[in-house]
Amino acid sequence: MKTKDMSYSEAIRDAISLKMHEDEDVFMLGEDIGVYGGAFGVSRGLIEEFGPKRIRNTPISESGIAGAAVGSALTGMRPILELQFSDFITIATDQIINQAAKIRYMYGGKGKVPMVLRTPSGSGTGAAAQHSQSLEVWMAHIPGLKVVQPSSSYDAKGLLISAIEDDNPVIFYEHKLLYGMKEPVPEELYRIPLGKAAIKREGTDVTVIATSIMVHKALEAAKQLEREGIEIEVIDPRTLVPLDEETIIASVSKTSRVVIVHEAVKRAGFGAEIASVIVESDAFDFLDAPIERLGGKAVPIPYNPELEKHAVPQVSDIINAVKRTLQRGEEV
Amino acid sequence: MAKEVFMPKLGMTMETGTIMKWLVQEGEEVTAGDIILEVMTNKINIEVEAYETGTMLKILYEEGEEVPVNQAIAYIGKKGEEVGEFSQPTMNSQLNSQVTEDKKSEEPVTEKKEKNGGKSRATPSARKLAREHDLQLTEIQGTGPNGRIHRKDVKAHIDNQIDTLPSVAYEDLAQKVEHKKDTETFKVTGMRKIIGDRMKQSISQAPHVTLHSEVDMSEAIRLRQQLLPIIEEKIGLRISYTEIILKAVGVTLRDHPMMNATLVNGEIYLNSRIDIGLAVSHSDGLLVPVIQGVDRLGMAQLSEQSKKLARAAREGKLIPNQLQGGTFTVSNLGMYRVDQFTPIINLPETAILGVGQIKERPIGVNSEIVLKPMMSLSLSFDHRTVDGAPAAAFLTQLVDTLEHPANLLV
Repeated sequence: MKTKDMSYSEAIRDAISLKMHEDEDVFMLGEDIGVYGGAFGVSRGLIEEFGPKRIRNTPISESGIAGAAVGSALTGMRPILELQFSDFITIATDQIINQAAKIRYMYGGKGKVPMVLRTPSGSGTGAAAQHSQSLEVWMAHIPGLKVVQPSSSYDAKGLLISAIEDDNPVIFYEHKLLYGMKEPVPEELYRIPLGKAAIKREGTDVTVIATSIMVHKALEAAKQLEREGIEIEVIDPRTLVPLDEETIIASVSKTSRVVIVHEAVKRAGFGAEIASVIVESDAFDFLDAPIERLGGKAVPIPYNPELEKHAVPQVSDIINAVKRTLQRGEEV
Repeated sequence: MAKEVFMPKLGMTMETGTIMKWLVQEGEEVTAGDIILEVMTNKINIEVEAYETGTMLKILYEEGEEVPVNQAIAYIGKKGEEVGEFSQPTMNSQLNSQVTEDKKSEEPVTEKKEKNGGKSRATPSARKLAREHDLQLTEIQGTGPNGRIHRKDVKAHIDNQIDTLPSVAYEDLAQKVEHKKDTETFKVTGMRKIIGDRMKQSISQAPHVTLHSEVDMSEAIRLRQQLLPIIEEKIGLRISYTEIILKAVGVTLRDHPMMNATLVNGEIYLNSRIDIGLAVSHSDGLLVPVIQGVDRLGMAQLSEQSKKLARAAREGKLIPNQLQGGTFTVSNLGMYRVDQFTPIINLPETAILGVGQIKERPIGVNSEIVLKPMMSLSLSFDHRTVDGAPAAAFLTQLVDTLEHPANLLV
C-alpha cells in the first residue's frame, strides 16, 4: 500500500475527494468552504476539483445548513456538512437531534439520513470561550447519532470514509490542534470501522483511555513514565458511539488501573460513561485502584493563553493521575 | 514523635488479641514499664507494659475489640503532640512504607477501621484474590491510602503464608523442572487433587498431635498363627496383622467414644457405630474404604470384609457408600520398612492410627535385655476434639489389648 505523509486536514480532504469521485451522491456544504477553503482550510482545492454544485457555499445559518443536509440525505444524497466551530452546533441541534437522529426510527426504517457533520472542536488556539469548547458528549447522549473523534491523520481518513458510507447521521469531531499533524497515510481508499478502538500503545501497568488531542498527551506521558519503569497502555476509543467496550474492558482487566482523559469538561463528560462501563463490566473484579478521570475544568475556556492551558488536562496531569493509581509519586 | 503501642505477639500461634481493659486513658501520663492494658488471647489474660514514657495520646481500639498482632493500638508521645497516621510496616514493599513514612506527621489519625463499621477498605481486585484464597480481609494489612488493601497486599499476605510452610521455594522448583523439556508433567486433577485438598484442609483446620508407642507383638503373632488355618479353612483367606489391629482398635474404641467422634460445623458427634476406614494404596493415589461395625465382627468376617474392600479399592471398584461415614482410620505401612510416621487425620474424624513394621528389637524385661517383635503405633488426633490425656489413655489401652489379645474376647 503506497503511503504519503499527510496532515490531518489533508487526510480529511483526501477522504472527501476519494468518496466524491467514487460516489456522485456525496457532496459538501458549509460556510466559506469554496474558494476560502473553510475556516481551517480543510476543503481547500475541492471547489476547483468538483465545482460549486458539489462544494456548496451556504449562508451563515447553521440551522439552515443542517436542515438542508437532512433534507438532501432523505432524498438519497450523502451530504457532508461543515460547521466552522463545533460550538455553533447549538444553532443546528434541532435539525440534528429532532430530525436527523429520529427520522429513520419514526418512519420504521422507510427513510434514512446518511449525512456526516464535520466540525472542529477543542481549545488551544486562543479562540476563547465561544470557539473552543468540546461538546461531543451532548451528541453522544442522543440515540440515532454516531459520534467520531479521530486523533490522527490515518484514523481521520479511514473513519471519515466509513462515516460517509454509513446510513446514519454521524457527527465527526476534528480537533483544531491536530490539523497540522502529519503521518504516513495510504493514498488509496481504506476504511476504519466505526466502533473499533485503537490501542495506540501497549502497556501493562495502567490503562489510559484518551480521546482526540489527549491521545497525544497520553503518548507523551507514556514516554516520560517509561523512564520511570511505568508502562501505560493508551487506548483511543476513536468513536464514542458506538463505543468499543470490549477493547477497554480487556485492557482494564489486564492492567487493573485506569485513567480516563478528555479535553471536554469533566463534569458529566464522556469519561463518566467510560468509567461506568468499566465498573459495570467483568473488569470490576480486576480493578486495583479507584478510576482516575481527567477532564476540563468547569469554566468557560479563558482567552488568556496560560489560563487556557490550565483549563484542560496536560501531560503532567496524566502522569500524576497514572502515579496515583499506582500510589507512587508526589501526589499520593 | 509519638510512638505506637502494638498489639503484642505473645505466642507462636497468636494471631489476634482482644483488648480486655485499658488501665490508662487518653491524656494520662505513663512511664515505661507501667501496665497500660490487659489483653486476652488463647483464654489467658496478659498485662501489657508501656515501652515509652509520655502521655497516652490516642487509643485506637476500645475494650472488647479484637486486633491482629503487631497492629498499632495506641500512641504515646509528648503532651499536645499531633499524632501521625499509623502505617503498618510492611515487609514486602520498601517503596510504600517509605512513602507513607514521609506522610506520617502530616495526616492526623482520624479514621480507622471502626469508622467504616468494621469494614476493610479493599479494591475489587484485592477482594477477588482474597475470596479465591479463602482469606479474611481483616487479616490483611493494606498499604494504600487509608490502609486500603490492594492486590499486591493480598499477594504479599499469601506469599508470607507460603513462606511459613515447609514447602519453601516450591514454585521455583516447579519452574526449574518445567524448563527441562524431557520432564513429564501432568496437571493435578481427579483423585490427586481431592487428596491434596483434603490433606491441606485437615492440616490447616485440625491442630494435629501425634502420640507414639511401641507394642510387643509376641502374643498377637501367636494369635495370628492360631487363627491362620482356622480362618483359611473357613473363608479361604489368610488373616493379616492389619485385621488383628483393626479388631483391637474397634474393641478399644468402645471404651473411648471421644476418639470415635466426628467434628462437623462446630458440633461433636459421638458416634454409636464404630466404622473404621482402612487406608489402601491405589495406582492413582490413596483410598480409604470403610469397614462397618468393626468391633462387632468376628475375625473371619472382618478378614473377609477388609480384604474384599481392599481389593475393590485397588481395582477401582468401590462404590461411594463404601468410602463414606468412617469414624476412625487405620493406615498400615508395616509391609514397608517404615518404623513410624505421623499420619494426617481424615476429617471429620478425630483420630488416625499409623502402624509401622514389626521388627525384633532389644527390650528390657525384668532387668534383662531380650529381643521382642516390636511394632510402633502412631496416633494423630485432632486437638479441637480431644486432649492429650484421653488420647494417651486410648493408645495405652490399644497397646495393652494387642499385647494381651485375650482382651478382644472380653
